[in-house]
Amino acid sequence: MMRRGRLMLALAACLVACGGSALLQDEAVGIKIPAHFPAIDFPEDNAPTRLRIELGRRLFYDTRLSADGNTSCGTCHVLSAAFTDGRRVSEGMQHHTGKRNAPTLANLAWMPRFMMEGGVPTLELQALAPLHDTLEMGFNMMEVIEKLKHDEALTALARAAYGRDTLDPFVITRSLAAFQRTMVSGDSRYDRYAFEGKKDQLSEQELRGLELFISEKTRCSECHSGVFFTDFGFHNIGLYEAYADRGRERVTYDSLDMGKFKTPTLRNIGLTSPYMHDGSIASLEEVVEFYNAGGRNHVNKDMRIHPLGLSAQEMEDLVAFLNALTDWNFVQRTDLMPYETE
Amino acid sequence: MVMNIKYFAGIALGLATLPLVFSSCTEDAADRGPAAVVLDFNTRWDGGDFQVQEVYTDQFGNRIRVDNFKSYVSMVKLFRSDGTEVLLEDFYLMDFKNDNRYTFDDVPEGTYNGMQFYLGVPPAYNKDQDPAQYPSSHPLSVAGSQGMFWHWNTGYIFTKFEGKADTTGTEGADLLHSFSFHVGDDPFLRVFESFDTPIIVERGKTTTVHANIQVDHILGNGGSEGIDLATDAITHTSGNTELAKKFMDNFVDAITLE
Repeated sequence: MMRRGRLMLALAACLVACGGSALLQDEAVGIKIPAHFPAIDFPEDNAPTRLRIELGRRLFYDTRLSADGNTSCGTCHVLSAAFTDGRRVSEGMQHHTGKRNAPTLANLAWMPRFMMEGGVPTLELQALAPLHDTLEMGFNMMEVIEKLKHDEALTALARAAYGRDTLDPFVITRSLAAFQRTMVSGDSRYDRYAFEGKKDQLSEQELRGLELFISEKTRCSECHSGVFFTDFGFHNIGLYEAYADRGRERVTYDSLDMGKFKTPTLRNIGLTSPYMHDGSIASLEEVVEFYNAGGRNHVNKDMRIHPLGLSAQEMEDLVAFLNALTDWNFVQRTDLMPYETE
Repeated sequence: MVMNIKYFAGIALGLATLPLVFSSCTEDAADRGPAAVVLDFNTRWDGGDFQVQEVYTDQFGNRIRVDNFKSYVSMVKLFRSDGTEVLLEDFYLMDFKNDNRYTFDDVPEGTYNGMQFYLGVPPAYNKDQDPAQYPSSHPLSVAGSQGMFWHWNTGYIFTKFEGKADTTGTEGADLLHSFSFHVGDDPFLRVFESFDTPIIVERGKTTTVHANIQVDHILGNGGSEGIDLATDAITHTSGNTELAKKFMDNFVDAITLE
């Protein structure tokens, strides 16, 4: 069951000249979201329109956004893997490896802070991070603009979508965010079971896994909470005794935040291996084994992480439940693919 | 003449008065007529001239070559004795590869008893702000900031000071040891103030204020807390906030007006 997301800003359809002759007409559009999801709070300067989303989609898959011309956002965020890439850490331009595991892009419209340490406040600003990271796309935004400004079709789209003179940092950051906010995922078998009353959607084993997931015994759902399966908080789970990546401490300078990373969503988790901020755990089975063992000792480790005493059967049940969080319709949506494959 | 310098970490009061500054500036300019002030920043080394990409020897015996030295200077203000103020400019990004000589044409004439500016970008314009909101000519825009903002985080890099050094003390050795200071974030904003000698601005005249930056003093020469590049060579603020603090304390202390 779907409904239309509310629009913060009513946008009148506008006509804008394109290349002196053709006309591009923009219009406000709603984002389809599941009934059990909250409304999207769109930024005032970036309510969704048809052309903003189209421009963002074109840029998302455009390799001209990288220094070597071979890497796009879609290189490391692949739809079939729920916008991850299956690698431990991503491989950016010129085969540089990044430092973290590529996160899923599902449901970013509701994300309050971006990056694993939470330093970036908006999806619009987040676009600057991979664009400038020398290990990822290795490119300066102004060089991107220099490269794209001769693309008349893209420039016309930028003008029509945002009413600005040219393809500039504002247009690039806004349109990429507008497209990413359409990456809504909430149609797993679990959703149908829990929110649509379809009790046959989960197997006996998956139901046992769900019971364990929300139980006092595992307390999984205390951090992986709500419809997005995340509290959007930052936690140290005892992955290491000494963290090479300092996590949230990087932005707070507080030693109590050493090794804390934003709780990731568990939606589509069966498609987004490997796991953890650095991709250091290969499979869901091993992740559950890690938690069952209680993690390693760290002064900041969340007190809820301790040996759980789960049986082999219980661990299998948990994994079965986690796999029921896959939204197969999401990863086959043609409107999230590059235009040429649609 | 050399004025005494004071600096304060607290800036909340100054920020609260910002909206008033713009209006008072416009009103006074119309009433009393324009006069020019030139603010000329010069980098110095141990009493002499300092140039980016030249080699100097610091008090620890390290031979150093600064390849990149940039800094935001913001909210440049003149103060009258009655406490009113005139904002000359809100933001500059200084690249010490170039001359940093700024002319303010429409300064209300009168006698000013003090000057103040920030090294860095004040909080209201810093964290969680979006460089893409500014036109490309603006010093805080994506283009204008020339990479002086953190993309994986938010906020502007107030100062970049980076280059190569030889810290072995070997005569003629290549400069192989990199140093890199990228300092930003609200706690590291510094306020430069000088209130000892009047600045007289007269109609039809240009008053030049020289702001000398003693680069050797930033590294601890002449009384400031020492930064020996052999051991304290890198801070991107995050990861070594103590060194970032020391750098900015020394930096603001290294400025004198004449």
